[in-house]
Amino acid sequence: MSNVQQEIFEIIAKQAKIDIATIKADSTLKDLGVASLDAIEVIFDIEEHFNINLPNEDTDFEAGTVGHLVEAVQRQIAQKANS
Amino acid sequence: MRRIVITGMGAICALGHDAPATWQAMVEGRSGIDTIHHVDATLLRNNPVAAEVTHFDASKYIEEARLPFLDPMSQYALVAANEAITQSGLDVRNGRTAVVTGVGVGGEETREGLYKKLYAEKAGRFHPLGIVRIMSNAPASQISMAHGITGPTFTVASACASSNHAIAQAVLMMRAGIVDAAVVGGTEACLTLGLLRAWEAMRVLSPDTCRPFSVNRRGIVLGEGSALFVLETLESAQARGAIIFAELVGVGMSADAGDIAAPSEIGAAAAISAALQDANMQPTEVDYINAHGTGTAANDCTETRAIHRVFGEHAHKLAISSTKPMHGHALGAAGALELIAVIGALRHGIVPPTLNYLGPDPACDLDYVPLEARRMTVHAAISNSFAFGGLNAVVALRRAP
Repeated sequence: MSNVQQEIFEIIAKQAKIDIATIKADSTLKDLGVASLDAIEVIFDIEEHFNINLPNEDTDFEAGTVGHLVEAVQRQIAQKANS
Repeated sequence: MRRIVITGMGAICALGHDAPATWQAMVEGRSGIDTIHHVDATLLRNNPVAAEVTHFDASKYIEEARLPFLDPMSQYALVAANEAITQSGLDVRNGRTAVVTGVGVGGEETREGLYKKLYAEKAGRFHPLGIVRIMSNAPASQISMAHGITGPTFTVASACASSNHAIAQAVLMMRAGIVDAAVVGGTEACLTLGLLRAWEAMRVLSPDTCRPFSVNRRGIVLGEGSALFVLETLESAQARGAIIFAELVGVGMSADAGDIAAPSEIGAAAAISAALQDANMQPTEVDYINAHGTGTAANDCTETRAIHRVFGEHAHKLAISSTKPMHGHALGAAGALELIAVIGALRHGIVPPTLNYLGPDPACDLDYVPLEARRMTVHAAISNSFAFGGLNAVVALRRAP
């Protein structure tokens, strides 16, 4: 597991108050019981943690998986490193 | 029970500086959404668009001596109230008239401007008129002062449902015999950097534009402005020979008691049902619904389910439109601006369209009057407002008797 993924899973586990082992790359935030404003807060925590901005396109809470989220974060981190 | 009618209306928003201009734009399907000018667009993450009031010179409407006391939310309210009261011709200079204004957030332009001086510029002095400009009751107070109205005067705050809650308060006070008339509506001036960033952070601002009930809808576009109305009894209006725009026949309110942000179809349906019941109106009598229709994924499918729940088979016969792609989501002023659309539909037999509609979303399967206004007779209509905090308020109207 990459560090980025590990850190994101930790943030989700903390917000959702669930065991980190239950989080899989193909779960959606909704599957994990993180809905509505809780999901927005998770995204905010992730943005703060990595000091990045996640566009709305990368934050589909219904269909987007945690794996997609990790990819989006990695993309933003890479972009930041290149700029 | 007293029958209550609307005999005056005034408005100012991105579509125009009076009610006729606003209605004309709604008929033409013209949008007031454009590049934002109120704030530095480079400080926003999203597409910097809003439905702003433009080319507005407050000194043309309000005496210079009064202006320093007025946040834009109060300026807009005074402009709309002046229009409504003048048009109605009703004598409101008495203690038997109420003023109730819906305000969602208050005098934010003043607040942010002064706080920036305090926190960022470390200014030593705070402007002495800050409080009287910022306070949410300022628009109601300013209307009462400008027109000598000495009856019950206050502001109702329920975010995006404020205007409809305000209208409900006025109607209920009139029915109870506490007052004989009311100046009622809503006002908002919410296009500040702080608020825009706060809405962005909730991820409900659209990155492109507002497309209610449409496939690929992506959120709200904020607007601003005010609409005010004069309510009086049918008896009084007929005795005066006043022009009657519509009859206000019912109000319905409910709370979801669920999520602070996510809407509930049960709560929304409860408010719609309550309004119909209060109006003694069968669901099959309704021809038009001015929807809350914000353009968010959650609101529009939830609202559609609520309409199905209340109207059953008749849901498919309803003309439903959201006028928010034209005047934007003006929060506390939303229901009041949308009442202009409802009154126009009842009076002129034209239903304003839902602009920017790209095609049907399976979760929004009703007739949303896409893209172009529709000529049709509207005998009865309702207007929905559903707020963050799970607060719902719906008003029901019929054509003028």
